[in-house]
Parts: sequence; C-alpha cells; structure tokens
Amino acid sequence: MATENPLVLPGDEIDPSLIPTHKTKPLRLGPGLRHVPPNQILPTLAGHLIADHRKNALYVEYNGGRYIPSPSDLVIGQVTRSAADLYYVNLTPYTPNASLPHLAFEGATKKTRPQLANGALVYARISLANRHMDPELECVSTSTGKSEGLGPLTGGMVFDISLGLARRLLMARSRDVGKVAVLELLGAEGLAFETAVGRNGKVWVNSESVKTVVVVGRALKETDEKELGVEQQKKLVQKLIKEMR
Amino acid sequence: MSKMAPTVTIPGQLLGPTSKYKPGPGTHIHLSSLYSSLLGVVHITHPAKAPGPAKRLNKITPAPAPAELPTISVSRSGISEKREILPEVGNVILCRVVRISPRQAVVAILICGDTVLDAEWQGVIRAQDVRATEKDKVKIYESFRPGDIVRAEVISLGDQANYYLSTAKNELGVIMATSEAGSTMYPVSWKEYRDPDTGLSEARKVAKPF
Repeated sequence: MATENPLVLPGDEIDPSLIPTHKTKPLRLGPGLRHVPPNQILPTLAGHLIADHRKNALYVEYNGGRYIPSPSDLVIGQVTRSAADLYYVNLTPYTPNASLPHLAFEGATKKTRPQLANGALVYARISLANRHMDPELECVSTSTGKSEGLGPLTGGMVFDISLGLARRLLMARSRDVGKVAVLELLGAEGLAFETAVGRNGKVWVNSESVKTVVVVGRALKETDEKELGVEQQKKLVQKLIKEMR
Repeated sequence: MSKMAPTVTIPGQLLGPTSKYKPGPGTHIHLSSLYSSLLGVVHITHPAKAPGPAKRLNKITPAPAPAELPTISVSRSGISEKREILPEVGNVILCRVVRISPRQAVVAILICGDTVLDAEWQGVIRAQDVRATEKDKVKIYESFRPGDIVRAEVISLGDQANYYLSTAKNELGVIMATSEAGSTMYPVSWKEYRDPDTGLSEARKVAKPF
C-alpha cells in the first residue's frame, strides 16, 4: 500500500515504474506535478502520488492549507460590498475578493436582479481564475442558463473545514473513494438538514432545528480534525445522536 | 529698446517680444511677450536665409516675413538638439504590460517611434480598444499577459495618470511574449503564440510581423 501511493515531497524523483502507460491516451498530469521538458516529471507539492491507470493520469493528493481558485470549482463566498454592476465576494481571508456580476444569476435582468446585502452567503462557480487577475464567479450555468443549485444561501451556518475534506465531500462516491460517510450516516439516523460544500474549505449547513445544525457541524469538524476513518465516523455519529436525545 | 535674450532662464522669465522672436519648445506667449517655461539654457536658431529674388530697383520689397524671425527655445539638458520626446496622438509606441484587469491592461510606455524614453510613462489599453471587431467580446486575459511587449498607438493624451492606447490594427499587438513555462514564444496566428519547448499555445492579440 505504501509503495503503491508513495508519499512524495516537492522535487523528489518519481520511480518510472509508477508512471502509468496507455496504448492510446497521452499521460495527463494533475495537480501537484510539473512537466520539465524534455521528459522529467517533478512533484511540486507534498502528498501521496496517485496513478489512475484507467484515465492514464498521475497526480498528487495533498491536504494543503491555501485554497487556490481554479475554473469551474464550486465555492461558498461572503458578499463584502457592491460596486457598479458587480458584487465583491470574499472566498478566503488571504486572497483578494472575487467579483460576481449582478447579472450572473438565473433570470436576472437590469430590473430584476437579486439584492444581496453585505455579509450574505452565496454558492457560486468560479468562471475565471488565473495568477494575474482576481477570480470571477457566476451563479448560473452559462450553457443552460439555469442556476443548478447556485445562488444566495439563506439561514444556516458555515463551518470551516480543511481543503482535503472539502474535496472528498464533493467527490461522486464520497463513501467509497473519499472515505467520508458522516453526512449519509447522520441522514440515516433521521436528521433533516441540507448542506452545501465549497471547495474553498467551507460547509454550509441548514436545518429547521438549531440542534441539528450544531450536531452536523460538530460531526464534520471532528472527522476533519481527528482524521476519522469510516468505522470511527460511525461511532462518532452514534455518540452524537445519543447526546442529542 | 533692443535687449539681448538671457543665456540661462528660470520659468516665467521674460525672453523677448513676439515681434523679434518666434516661440520654440520650452517657451510660451503671454500678452505679446515670450516667456520661458523651463529652467535651462536659451538657444536662438536663425532660420536659413531663403534665397530672395534678384533685387529690382522699381519693386517695393515687403517687410521680412514671419518665417525669417529667429526661433528662441529653452532646453533643460543644455544640448540644443536633444529634446524631451513625449508620445503624441498617433505615435506608434512600444510598451510592456504591467498588469491586467477584466476591463483594461495597464502598460509602461518604453519606446516612442525610434527613441527610447527617459522615463516610463503609464498607459492604458481598454478592452474596447484591443481590436477592431467584436469589441464587446474581448477578454483581456486572452489578449495580453503581464510581461508582454506590445506595439500600440496613442489615441489620447488622457488624464493625469495615463495615456490611452489602442491595438486595433493588424500590425499592432503583442510582439514578444513569454510562456507560463518561462521560454520565449513564437507567433502562430493572429491570436496564438506557441512555446517551442512544451508545444503549448497561449492566446494573445498578436501583431502582424513586418
């Protein structure tokens, strides 16, 4: 297991046997790796080197501290101020504000645009992000014109989580591949709540009862801080439910 | 009464009447007198005497035309030929992109025509001045990047902070660009540069090479 997904540090040499090969597809490098021409692959981040033989991809799975915006990421931001025809949305305390145009909402025209107050939460997708400019967001899908769950988030509470947990929560098969099942387990116990996960390390939880929101938040925080596996998550959920009742 | 023009002047110093001298760079006219605008040395250039017609005894020759008056100018450096070159409207200049934002690119003007400027003047290329067609669909990130060298034309002297520039012609645009990997790229089409080492293309508004 250790040799399969070895821990690499920036600048380490990669064992050529770990690099996947494919008959037709070219090798794709994911985050954390850099190609130095002509034929050298260097890790730039510390983490586990994962090779996906099916997609012929190689990347580094890391749990970093800083969120770096990349296009088509879903994030939770807070509106700081409103300018001419944009909102300035804060994604993290250490990056400049991202801009969200007033018209980038579903069915928005100059007369009917949503009025977001300062401090309001919004679930948005990053439309433009690069090193040279501040990121830009949108709350509507440009191809379909529908919001698809994006837009202002009312009520509830936001919890901070690590970037690694956020990524695992957003995976398609979070229980099997991401090894995070807390939310499913809590739902199975009968709690009714809704969540939104932002890639920038934020989770928004809303429910009719405040106790539910607090329990969900605590469960996520403990899973994150203590790095619980699926079995330990089950035990945690049992404990929290018992305390609640 | 005729007075010799002074050799070294300070701003606001009287140089002479407009009937005796023509104003040149570094001077201004106020109430029919020439005053210096700069601190510097005064230069008087006498125009080449135009070859007049052969003197005819019965023809009344008119008074000397204004073009025959000597030109008086003031320059800082003391060398009469060296003038402060400033970009004017219509000049083609070379500049380096300093930063980009969604609506404009801020540049530092380095070369005006063929002269390297002493100071770097700041210029702005607005999104609607990047190209001539489809002005509202321009994406600054796909036209310029910080560090590119751009050939542009001055369209306005602008305000206190910036000149306004335009690249809306085929021969204007990015002439030199560096890729994300750090190597110099070569142009492929009007909107693409390619890195020879990695083979990756990057979008730019490319200037047509001469």
